[in-house]
Amino acid sequence: MKRIWIDTDTASDDAVAILMALRWPDEEIIIEGITTVSGNVSLEECTRNALYTIELCGKQVPVYQGAGKPLVREAVFGYFFHGPDGMGGMNYPSPKLEIEENHAVNALIDAIRANPNEFILVTLGPLTNIALALSIAPDLAEKIPMCYVMGGAAATLGNITPAAEFNIYVDPEAAKMVFHSGLPLTMVGWELCRGEANLDDEDIKSVLAMDTVYSKFTVDCNRQAIQTNREWLGEPMLPLPDPITMAIALDSSICTKKGKYYVTVDVESEVTRGMTVVDERGVLEKDANVTVCWAIDVPRWKEALYKTLR
Amino acid sequence: MTKKIIFDTDPGVDDTMALTFALRSPELEVVGVTSVFGNAAGPVTAQNALRLVELEGNGHIPVARGADQAIVLPALELGTEVHGEDGMGNTDPAPPKGKLADVHAAQFIVDTVLANPGEITLVPVGPLTNIALALRLEPKIAELVDEVILMGGAAYVPGNITPLAEANIYHDPHAAQMVFSADWKVTMVGLDVTHQIVMDNARFDKILAADNPAANLLRKIVPCYRNFFDQVYGIGGAVYTHDPSAVAYAIDPGLFEVRQAPIVLETEGRCMGKTIADEEHRWVDYRSTNICVGAQAEAVLDLIVGRLTK
Repeated sequence: MKRIWIDTDTASDDAVAILMALRWPDEEIIIEGITTVSGNVSLEECTRNALYTIELCGKQVPVYQGAGKPLVREAVFGYFFHGPDGMGGMNYPSPKLEIEENHAVNALIDAIRANPNEFILVTLGPLTNIALALSIAPDLAEKIPMCYVMGGAAATLGNITPAAEFNIYVDPEAAKMVFHSGLPLTMVGWELCRGEANLDDEDIKSVLAMDTVYSKFTVDCNRQAIQTNREWLGEPMLPLPDPITMAIALDSSICTKKGKYYVTVDVESEVTRGMTVVDERGVLEKDANVTVCWAIDVPRWKEALYKTLR
Repeated sequence: MTKKIIFDTDPGVDDTMALTFALRSPELEVVGVTSVFGNAAGPVTAQNALRLVELEGNGHIPVARGADQAIVLPALELGTEVHGEDGMGNTDPAPPKGKLADVHAAQFIVDTVLANPGEITLVPVGPLTNIALALRLEPKIAELVDEVILMGGAAYVPGNITPLAEANIYHDPHAAQMVFSADWKVTMVGLDVTHQIVMDNARFDKILAADNPAANLLRKIVPCYRNFFDQVYGIGGAVYTHDPSAVAYAIDPGLFEVRQAPIVLETEGRCMGKTIADEEHRWVDYRSTNICVGAQAEAVLDLIVGRLTK
């Protein structure tokens, strides 16, 4: 049995990641809560998308709405990538599930303090909620055994800029704070979530051939992402960074190479805003704070996804 | 009509004067005190805040402990040469009788503002961490707070902790950026004006000669503070009236002269903590802050002395 808490700026790939956790067949997964944060799309849209995804899977999970903008900077969105509703323009019906009253940050603090070291955290968006929670309750850093972060680009190949990955770029101050908070972190960077790790034409065909509500949903809500990825980054088919991170959180052996290093986040420069700088050789002689995933087993990651869609 | 204030403070010697001044002023009703790190460490300022409300029979006023460090910046080595290790001039004061409220300062601010819409004035005289966290926990407070009257910043004059930055702002520049950029009425009582309001020896001695609990405490705790001012500024036992000036503004804004400009923070590098007045809105288009640039200093000082010697 595994207990997890998901923090998400729910758009298309977040939705698939949530679906994976909700439908993981290998062991019982208890999702303690889902907190939403502004990122891919507006906070309200993220929340709506999270609720819709839970409803689609026929499950009940408490959803708490969190930060409506980054700590200090103006919001940056990813509509161009995820579509006007964050779900490929599918315009899914309004969910009937409702959010909880508590603010995401308070809900997270209360849940962790009531269950210290009982569940892991998986973050799929900007780290604003986590930074706020750690700021109000610094003791959380020692009450979470691991936080899996979809974010950053350890090999410095960014997406939103040459240097930075979107989630970290959106709220670099929050990321920097979280990275240096003492919270145990595993970083799943953008560089792992492209190329061969993408679902290619054949993969998409086989997903659609499963002919389930879930397989169809996975392709449908990502249709804008597929198109934009091809036009914008010139990459084939569908990148799924959040589901890859979720796969590693659910089955850590999917990450085949990792190391722990001093990692910090640039918040000063315009050129490298949000760059995750990994001191791989230890030249700064600072304490290692982040476990960086360097490689994943691509066939096993895809199988991890497929078994939740069948 | 009395003005309801939440006094956010890092006591601190001048905080002691300011809070006592506020509690002794019939124009103000202190509905809560929130503490923050700054002049001393977080746990220390919380206990001091509690002591100060108890000092003259105000133990019924709730005191909520807030942040121990800045939101983004790592924990600071706090200087103890101004206010002493204990924030009370190294006098090792007796423990308070009462207990802190069982809620974080930021949540206390949110709850109090929501319960008193349009009626609360926030008077922060330390780092702005709690205020910024409250804004992020409940963005609606921006429209429900009457005014924020803060001690901090240096718009048109040099800083005190660095050549550019004033200490409160410097200790959490990101929080300051959040507070100054929010859509609410902010008045900045910074070094622009507090360095013009010099508590001379005659007035200071008059306060210390009074026979009341506040004066009895001040007699013990000010030597360290006064000594620092004398060494650094050579103003012969006089002190700049920082925190009490913010309270004076809350009582009688007519004693002050203001200029209006949005305030932009430098949050990195050696200019960190500089409060830049963007008078022509070249960089930002958010709401202007009332920047105190002058005051009827004699009248402000007489008001303070009058209240503290009562």
